[in-house]
This record gives sequence, C-alpha cells and structure tokens, in this order.
Amino acid sequence: MAKIRDMIPAFELLQPTSVEAAMDLLDEHREEAWVLAGGLDSFDWFKDRIKRPSVVVDLGGIPELTGISEIENGLVIGAMTSLTEVERHERIRAEYSVVADAARHVATPQIRNQGTLGGNVSQDTRCWYYRSGWPCYRAGGNTCYAAAPQAMNREHCIMGRSRCVAVNPSDTAPALIAVDAKMIVENPGGPSVYDAEDFFIGPAIDITRMTVITPRDLLTRIQIPATWANAEFYYEKVRDRASWDFQLVSVAAAFRKAGDTIEEARIAVNGVAPYPVRVEAAERIVAGTSGDEATAAAAGEAAIEGARALRHNDYKIPMMRNLVRRAVRSVA
Amino acid sequence: MAEKLIGTDIAPPDLHAKITGRAKYAEDFRAPGMVFAKLLLSPMPHARVRRVDASRALSMPGVIDILRADEVPAREGPREAVLTDNPRYEGEPILAVAAVDEETAAAAIEEIEIDFEPFPFVLDPLDSLRPGGPNPYVEGNQFSGQDGWSEFKWTEADFATIDAGEMPDPECPVEWTKGDPAAAFAESALVLEETIVHQSLTHHPMEPRSNMAYWEGDRLFAFVSTQSSQQTKFALAGALDMDPENITLVSEYAGGGFGSKIAGTTIMQLPAIFSQKIGRPVMLRVTRYEENYIGRARPGFQSWLKMGFLENGKCNAIDLIIVQESGPYGAGDFNTAGMIADLTYTPQNMRFRAVPMYTNTPPKAAQRGPGGAQIISMMEPILEKAGRELGIDRLEMHLINAPRPDVRFGPRDNSLTSVHTVEALEQGAELFDWASKSQLSGQRNGSKVTGVGIGLSPYTAGSRGRDGMVIIRPDGRLYVHQGIGNLGTHSIADTARPAAELLGFNWEDVVIVWGDSSRGYPRSTVQAGSQTTTAHTRANRAAAEDALRKIRAVAASSMGGSPGAYRVDDGRVSGPGGTMTLGAVAQRAIAMGGEYDGHVLPDDIHAQTVPAAQMLAGAGLMGIARDNFGGEGNIYSWVAGFALVELDEETGVVELKEYVGVTDCGTVIHPRSLGAQVFGGSIQGMGMAMTQRWVFDPKWGVPFANRLYTARPPGILDVPPDLKWGAVGIPDPQDPIGAKGIGEPPVGAGAAALTCAVADAMGGRCLCRTPLTPDILLAEIEGREQGFGRLDQHIG
Amino acid sequence: MNFWRTADNPWGEEVLIGISWDLMWLAIGASVVFLIGHAVWLRTRPAEAHEAPSEAETSGIPEQIERHNLGSRLFHWTMAATMLALLITAFVPVIGWQFPWVTIHWVAGVLLIATVVYHVIRAIGWQDFWSMFQLGVAEGTAQVRHVLSAKAPAPPRAGKYPFDHRMYHHVIVVTTLAAIVTGLLMMVRIDTPFWTPNPYLLSDATWGVMYVVHGVSGVALIVLVAAHIYFAVRPEKRWMLWAMVNGFIDREKYLEHFDPSKWDVTGGSAPTSVEGGTGALADASVTARRDD
Repeated sequence: MAKIRDMIPAFELLQPTSVEAAMDLLDEHREEAWVLAGGLDSFDWFKDRIKRPSVVVDLGGIPELTGISEIENGLVIGAMTSLTEVERHERIRAEYSVVADAARHVATPQIRNQGTLGGNVSQDTRCWYYRSGWPCYRAGGNTCYAAAPQAMNREHCIMGRSRCVAVNPSDTAPALIAVDAKMIVENPGGPSVYDAEDFFIGPAIDITRMTVITPRDLLTRIQIPATWANAEFYYEKVRDRASWDFQLVSVAAAFRKAGDTIEEARIAVNGVAPYPVRVEAAERIVAGTSGDEATAAAAGEAAIEGARALRHNDYKIPMMRNLVRRAVRSVA
Repeated sequence: MAEKLIGTDIAPPDLHAKITGRAKYAEDFRAPGMVFAKLLLSPMPHARVRRVDASRALSMPGVIDILRADEVPAREGPREAVLTDNPRYEGEPILAVAAVDEETAAAAIEEIEIDFEPFPFVLDPLDSLRPGGPNPYVEGNQFSGQDGWSEFKWTEADFATIDAGEMPDPECPVEWTKGDPAAAFAESALVLEETIVHQSLTHHPMEPRSNMAYWEGDRLFAFVSTQSSQQTKFALAGALDMDPENITLVSEYAGGGFGSKIAGTTIMQLPAIFSQKIGRPVMLRVTRYEENYIGRARPGFQSWLKMGFLENGKCNAIDLIIVQESGPYGAGDFNTAGMIADLTYTPQNMRFRAVPMYTNTPPKAAQRGPGGAQIISMMEPILEKAGRELGIDRLEMHLINAPRPDVRFGPRDNSLTSVHTVEALEQGAELFDWASKSQLSGQRNGSKVTGVGIGLSPYTAGSRGRDGMVIIRPDGRLYVHQGIGNLGTHSIADTARPAAELLGFNWEDVVIVWGDSSRGYPRSTVQAGSQTTTAHTRANRAAAEDALRKIRAVAASSMGGSPGAYRVDDGRVSGPGGTMTLGAVAQRAIAMGGEYDGHVLPDDIHAQTVPAAQMLAGAGLMGIARDNFGGEGNIYSWVAGFALVELDEETGVVELKEYVGVTDCGTVIHPRSLGAQVFGGSIQGMGMAMTQRWVFDPKWGVPFANRLYTARPPGILDVPPDLKWGAVGIPDPQDPIGAKGIGEPPVGAGAAALTCAVADAMGGRCLCRTPLTPDILLAEIEGREQGFGRLDQHIG
Repeated sequence: MNFWRTADNPWGEEVLIGISWDLMWLAIGASVVFLIGHAVWLRTRPAEAHEAPSEAETSGIPEQIERHNLGSRLFHWTMAATMLALLITAFVPVIGWQFPWVTIHWVAGVLLIATVVYHVIRAIGWQDFWSMFQLGVAEGTAQVRHVLSAKAPAPPRAGKYPFDHRMYHHVIVVTTLAAIVTGLLMMVRIDTPFWTPNPYLLSDATWGVMYVVHGVSGVALIVLVAAHIYFAVRPEKRWMLWAMVNGFIDREKYLEHFDPSKWDVTGGSAPTSVEGGTGALADASVTARRDD
C-alpha cells in the first residue's frame, strides 16, 4: 500500500456535551475512539494518516471541562481550559506562577489559544522516527530507529530509556509536578487521582502510551493544591528558537523557604526522559540549605546521575545539570 | 506638481487584496468540472519502480484516472522529469491520481500497489568521493553532456589527509587560479586553514507550489505559483513543447519563492498534462509535506579554506575547495561562491576548486543569495579571526579588504558598475556604534557573554536590455504592463515608478497590469539574481521616455509649437500651444495611429514583446522601448550587517540583541520596501546560520525536519523588535535611475554578522559550520565530544 | 486468526516483525485443553498395576536412591525460575498487565543461557551424556501403544530417563535453543550495558525471521512448561517432583519405574541385563555409575 500524507481521512465525529455522555461514548467505542482536545497533536497524526481512529470524541463542547475554579484548598483547572487562559489567570500568575510561565512557553499564541492544558500534558512524543509512521516499538513494531548507532537523535532522551528513547514534549508537565498537581482521571469505574509525576509513564511500563490514560479514561481536571501556593518558583525552557518550538530541556521548580533557608523543594525536568523527571536527589540536597552556589552545583550533579547520552544528545547532560543548578541558584 | 514617486513610501496596489484575503493565489482558482490530483511519492532515496497495480484505485468511485511517468516528457541525464519511475530522492513524485475530490484521490493513492527495487544512495558527497563509495545514479556520479556518466573518486591518499583533519590536494573538475597563490602564501604574515560545513536547507515559501490547469482547444490556461511571470510562461511552453502564445498563465500572487520558483515549471507540467489526458481541469494542491521534497533546497558545502593575510590585515591569498551537495539534478552555487570570495576579500591571488556532487537528496536550486550567502557566512568569521590574531580591529579588517571601485574579480577579471562597501561599513558602524559596542566583546553578565560581529555580503543586483511597455489610455491613466512576477517584494509597483514620475503621474492614476499573460507583457527578466529592480526601472524608464516623446509630438501636432517645448505634469501636457489632458492625448494618439498607439513598433524590441504590443495596439498612447541605456561591468549590491549577541554559556542559547543592516543598492526607490528586504533577508540568513536545519537519517536516506516546526525557520521573536537599517543611497552612475536590486545580499550579511558575533562570544573560536544550534555550542563550551564528524553534513 | 505480524518498514516494504499474539492465546488454549483433557482421560484409565519387587531385585539397592544431586537440582530450579520469568515477562504484558519487563526478560535470558551452558558442560564432562540421547525405539513404541490402549502391555521399565522424559528434553532443547539464539541476537537491538543498540546488524527480513522464531519458541514453551508443571504436580508423579526437591527417590519407586539393569544404583554389584538399549545412539553404557 502506497503512503500519502497531509490529508485527513474521514472519521465519525462525536461531540458530547457532558462528561457523562463522553464517558459513555468512550465506553462504547473503546480502542476505536480517539479523544480530541485542542487537536494540535491529534490533527498532526490524522493528516499524516498514521493514526486512523474510526471515531473521534471531541471534548470541545463540554462546558464542565473548561474553566478554572477556586476551591478551599487550591485551584481546579478543567482539562479543556486553554493554555492562554492558564497563562493569563490572575491567581495562577500570582500564586502558582510556574504554571502560568510554563503555559506561556508553549509554541505560539495561536497554538495556546487552541491548545488545552489537558491536551498539553496528554500529548504524544515528537520523536520524528515515530511521527514518521515508522514501525518502531512505540508504534507496535520491534525497532527503535532513534537509538540506532547512526540515528539522528539530538532531541531524544538521556535517561529513562527502555527500548524507546523518545522524550515527553509537554511544557506544562514539569510545572504541574513542581506544584504537586493532582490529575483526575475518570472512567466508568469512577474517578482516580494521580500525582502529576505518576500520571506520566515511561516505555518500560507501557511503550505505547505516555500517560496512565487508557481507552475509556478521561482526564477531566487538574487540581493544584494550596500546598505550594506562593512558593518561590523557577521555570526555564531551552529551545532552538524563541517560539513555536518544543523544549530541548526545560526545568520547573518550587521552593518553600523559611527566611534564607529552603525548607523543601520540588524540581522537575522535561525533555530528558520519556516522561518528565522529578529530580528528588537534587531536592534532597537543596532542602535545608540557602541554595548557595555549592548547593546548586551539587544539585545539578545529582540531577544527571545515571544520565547516558545517545550519539547526538550528549549536550543534554550539561544542559540539564545547568538548568537544575540555575533553578536552585534562583532562590539564593 | 505631481507627487515624487522615487524614494517615497507608497502602498503597493496588491496590498488591500492581500490583507483582506481577496488576493487569489493559484489554489484559490476553480474551473467547471475541476478535479483534484494527488501525488504518490517515492519512499526510497534511490530506486526503480518494478511494478504498479492501480486497478483497485481506479475502480474506486470518484477516481478519474492515473498519470504515469511514461506519459510526461522524459529527461535524459541528471535532469528532472515531473514524474519518474527511477526516483533519485525520497519524495520524488512517481505518479498522480485524479479524482473528484482530494479525499478520494488520497484514498486512491493508498490503494495502489507499488513495488520498488532499492539502489545504493548518497546523502553526503564525501561518501561518493571515497574510493569504492556509493553513487547517486546507477550509472555513476558525474555527468558530462559529451561523455555521459562516469565515476569520479578521490584517492585513498586524499582521504587519508582529510581524515587526518588536513586540507587535501585532490583532483577537482572545476578549477581556476589567478595570480600566484603559492608565492603569495609564502609572503603572508598569517595563514589560516579551516574546514567548513555549510548546511543544505529547504526554501519553505509560505505558499507551496500548488497549481491548476485546463485546456480550451489548443490553449492552455495555467494558474500557477511562480516568482516570475512572463518568463515562466515561456519556460512552461518549453517544458511542454508548445507555442508560448497558446498559454494563458495566471500568476497574480506568489507566497514567496526565495529562488525555488524562479520559473518552477517542473510541477506545473502535471496539471497541464493530466488535464489534457482526461479533458477536465486539474488542480494539484501541493501540501507542506510535498513542498518539503519538491520545493527545492540550498546546496550544502563541505569546504577547505586557506586564507593568507599580510601584516596590515590585507588578505593576499585564498585557496578554496568546495564540495557541493547538489541533489540529484545539480546546482551552480559553488561557482558563485568562488566569485564572491574573490570579490569580497580581493586577495589578487586565488585558487578555486570545486566538486559539485550529485546526491540522493531533494533537488537543489538557487536560494536567496545562492553560493554567496553560504561562503560569506563561513568566511567572515575567518577574516575576523585573522583580525584578532593580527591585532587589528575587525571593522578595520573589513574596511581594509572591502573592494574599491577598481576591483577585478573572478577568473575573467569582472568589474563592477559601482561599489560603496566602505560607505556601507562606515554608515553601519555609526548606526550600530561599533566604537563602543566592540568594547563589549567578551563582557560577561552572569552566564552570558557578549559577542559582536560584522558581515559584508554582496550579490548580483541587476541586468540590462529588457523591454518596457506603458500605455496612456483615454481615461487619462498610465497603464504599466509588467511581465515580472509578483513575488511579494513590491517590485511590480516599484519598478513602475520611474515611468510614472517621468510622465508626471500621481500614483493614484497609475495602473499596474500584471499577473495574467493575456493582458500583454513586454519582454521581462526572470525574478532571480535580484535583477528586477535594475532591469525594469530601466526598461520602464525607456518606455516612459518613448511615451514622453510621443506625448510631446501629439501635443505639438494638436496644439502647435515644437514638441520639445511641451512639459508633462499632473496628468496634463502643457506648452506654447496650451494644455491638454493626457486622456485627450491618448485619444488623439489612437486617431493618429502608427507608432503613437502601437501599430508601428520599434525595430529593436524583443520578439517576446511583439505579440503583446500588437494585441494592445490602438488602446492608447503606447510607450514601448528596449532598455538601450547600456553599461559595463557587473551590477552588485551589498549589505553590511552588524550584530550584537549574548551567548548563554550554560545553555548554548544565542540571543540576538541588536542588528543593523546598511545597504549599498544605489538609488532608494521605496524605503519601506527596502527596509523589509534588508530585514527579511537578514533574518532568513540568521535562520540559516542559527536555527534552521535539515536532517537525514543516514540508514534510510530520508529527511526529517519536514515540517515548519521541525525545520525551524526563524520567527519574529528570534530578533529584537528594533532592528535598524540604512542605505548608502549613492546612485549607480551607469544607470538612468541608479537603483540596484536588494533581494539577496542581506542573507549573507545577516548570517555572517551572527556567525562572527557567535565566534566572538566564544572567545574567537570559529566552529565553521551551520547551523550553530545550542547543542553544538554548549558541547563546544563544555569541551564535550560532538556526535558528528568535522565534515559531516545534514546535522542539526 | 493471524500467524504473524507484519509492518511497512521506512521504505514502505512489508516486513515480518513477529508472531501474531493470537498464537499466544492459541498456546494458552491448547495448554488448558491438554491439561483438562489429560486429567479426564486419565480417569478413564484403569489403575496401573505394579508387581512387587522380588527379593533378588531389592538386594543391594539402598533405601533411598539419589536421583538428582545438588548440582542438578540447582540447575533445574534456576532454569525453571528463569524460564518462568521469561514467559511471564514475555506474555503477561501482552495480556494486558503492564510492568517494566524488558530488563527482567533479558537478564533472565542471560541467566538461562548461563544455566544451559553449565548444564551442557556438566552433562558432557561429568554426567552420562548419552543416557539422555538414547533413541529407545522399542521402549517408545511400547509406551505409545500402552498410552493408546490400556490393554497393551505396560512398557518395560526404563533407564534413568524414560522415553517420554527424553523426548520432552529434546523438544525443550530445540525450542529453548531457538529462543536463546534468536534472543541473544535480539539483545543487540535493545539497550543493555554491553553495546549501543543496533537494529541494523541484520536485514529487516532476517530480523523478521528471528522474531518469528523467537515468538514461536516462546509460545511453544507456554505449552511445554504448562505440561511439565502439570505432570510434576500430578499425584502419581509427585514423587518425581520431590526427587527434584530433595534429590532422592525410595527403593519402591525405583523398582517400580526403573530397570536396575538400565539404571544401576548399586555401583555395579547388581545383576546386569543382557538387554541393552535397543537402537541406542551409542553404546548405552547403562552400567556406568552415574551421578544422577
């Protein structure tokens, strides 16, 4: 069969107006169904005719999935809330600025208007071997083309590899881990709550998925607990150009301080593994210090413990080290 | 008094349509019964089609027909056909299917069973030059018209030298020498030897080359995306082997081309031939993915450069070898690169050698500043390095080496019509404040290091001898017939200004006629080599002079007195016998006939002008003439770019903080448009040097970075909001208008200013390759091993 | 049902990438059917009568006979553990329970190879190698006849390894070796500390064959291992399981199931049989003292 790209094949479009109706549809169509949020990842797959669902469940018409509401103990962000809204939300900017910062670093204003927070964390990897429709492990085949000795893999992972060496592309994921966000996933069995860091899974667990979401599951809400409100935050994304670009490496961090001392820290890095990495070793080093240069350097070194480069991505090791170091330095 | 039109900002006539979306690009056209074609692209970089079974596809409802390679004109040797059964790059079109809609056509492509026999392929020219290395064609890797295919390899000894990291002394099919380089190097106070890799990268025009065609009898109507217009019609006629006067070519707008659509006729053949076969209009909407393959690319260079300098900083010798990655169908960048190296550094002693190598990568073509942009962005940092080593200020290095008006360059000692590089550098230095900014070099702010750099970049900027045709109609307006294409540069309007100004028209009374060959064009240039501004300000000036002569004659014959005593202004002609409107003059010219309304034409106009003039004869007073203004020497314009960057040593990220581009392009016709060209070209060059890339998997020969988000042309946020530009503004003395083109030189200037500034921020270390992405810079800063070899191509 | 999985390689050529997981379900189904079928079938069979051993036979035969020494038992159980680990890591994720299986799988594979190498060296150097490689046509024929009809005479008592054990061993050898050889090659493609993964060592088509062979061996091992475990835990055979645990069988079982002339446990003092292993691949040195 010959291949052709850039032409979306027909599918049945289902547009439920409530979460309940969406869940019914997902339950009915199971593996056949594709959940559509902002479409920025989905349509890329569709137009290349690589992922060809017969049924697309569009969440765009479900009011209860959009918007940001304040609860007693934090904030709840509907999964379909646009990244622009997250970026501009007053309380997020004031109390959880790392999340707003991360949202602002996504692609372009147009993409942020269309893209959703739920979609941003649920998106598939951008490994170009995989996105080219090659039969790699992640696509159900038996090869990782990106880890081959002569492969072009400058954007691939330096840790967490397991047959697959792709990276998670989400800008908001590390920020959500930094604020200890909870992901609420619903299915006919009821809701489950995942810590943000557990929401993302590596290829060792399931090589075909980036998150815990399986057919019939719906990420409905993202809850930011007040625990880290008004902490000191740091976000930085290194990319090749200043807009419309995925990260090479990004870091998001939250520090709770008492006077000059960092009591507790949460530091997450993305672009280095198939999932956003929480660098707990670095967090431990930082706790109880002032975040001075020596601590920052030690935290950076701890973060890259065990990192291993592919042919073209050795630079990610110092880049990750330096970003973690900068994050710590920022609160000193 | 009519308004001044040269040197002022005027809204071009296509602006409203573009902004409001009324502008019709090729894919916006529809015709009754139109069907859509889709392409089947080769999945392999080098192969042969063994078997095609389209029976399932053809039996699908809505599928009209298939077009195969044996139904389109075949091309011998390394020449491109629109469809082929012998693909030489991944993505080369194999066949097309037409259906009532695109969805059906795409589904039909998937139903085609096709079987390929893969052949060895070449991505990196050095692989093919190695003894025993693969060839890009089954027949060999070099082609000559006389001897056909052969195999050209360097020796094991050559590669032993190369692999040892030294400059080889290999046999090269292209070689010229001037002066005595060996003796000159012996006299040099400093000799620098560098290995250079310049990437190959695609053009990425916003509008892919979609096009539509249908036939009415023997007449072909083609709606296309092209940089040129009249010359595209002739090129298409040549490709289809038909009478050009039987083609109506519609090309009102082009969403960019950057050299990839100079004519761009290859893919235009497809709807034309398919439409002829099935008797229905055929639309081929080329997608971004397809554009990436068939849309052309800049050839990459792998080079060795030896540059000698005297104590005073003057470059006195150059030895340059370029291996060019030419794609399957060749490109000429290397020749220009050699010429421009000689022109820019005026060494007087130079040996140039080049090996253009066919490869199994998508086809190459001119890309804005072809050859020049590559070599300038690579050589300027080496000039600055020499300055550093000789203890000479880098601006001074550029000034010392920049060509003066008496410059002779290239193997045939070409001369220039005018050159004001010194003025451009000085004006740029002032605008940029080089004196204080250069003091910031190496200054640290946290992890950030400041670097400054200068790039001086020339490119060809004009040609002579085209025809102009203007008509003043009885409505009193001036119709300027422009056979040039509307490639987004405003040149369709700006080149009309000298005619309007000479004839005293206000801009609102000027009608630009363009975009549809049935409206009649004088012989025009292709829109390439930045020649349009010069060539067509001259041609339109010539036509206007002819019109002025005729207006005066008509006025004198109507009102009495000597023609020379009549003046035109504000739409009227006035003189001793009184005054009359130019509308009335047009009316009178029609009555007088003969040469006045175009029934009698000048003898020296080009045959391509004649049918249009004959068609338009009698419409009004016709000014029609060939550009006989003459001139000697090559027309080149220049841009001196100045950049200040901050390099973050912890991330390898380079941020451009300031940029100034000052051009020597003669008379400024349209300041705002000129500024847009200087900025646009410079930013394109910055992308070439810094962010953009094209990457191939070496095992499968398949390109990645096929999408805009992966290819990463620079965005507006990659440059500071307050870029500055300036123009020397000294008219070219050999030209009646004095204007030179500007499209191309900014690319090299923007790229080189950045490669120099980055090298400066790196403490003078020149990586001598593009793109300079954060990974490469960070690995260098950290002293870590890069994942690629010094000469590896297609990295990024 | 599909037998293999294919995919289009980057050049659009269809290549084998492995067996269809349908085959796994088929193997699981076949195992279940066999186990239940066998259990039911066995109930239809009359109880096997065994003659009480004569005085002459028991003379000189110890109460407890060592069937598997410690080395053999360690080998067996290590191999069993690796085999189970391999099967679980291979198939459980396919069934749907996801866990990080790859490292466990290849490490278990490497251990399996080590045990096999140990076993082969030991069998050649220190054990009666040929006792496992007797063809025993007469014994086999008799056994098959007896299985087909309860009325057929019971097969003659065996040497240390009865015909069915020998056949099972051979099948396991072939299947496991196929899995090991292909698995070793496949390790080239995954991330281990030993080398950079290289999916291009062999052509796509050759890799396809490797994957299919590995897969077929794998699903065959589901059946073989299931059957093996089933027989091991069957009440009438459990004495053999205990022998694999503690190393010994008692004299009664010995005389019931084994021919002392074929498996001499007396150190050469027992009467020797004139009847050698019919059709033995080599001189069946049945009288040799053996370790196990």
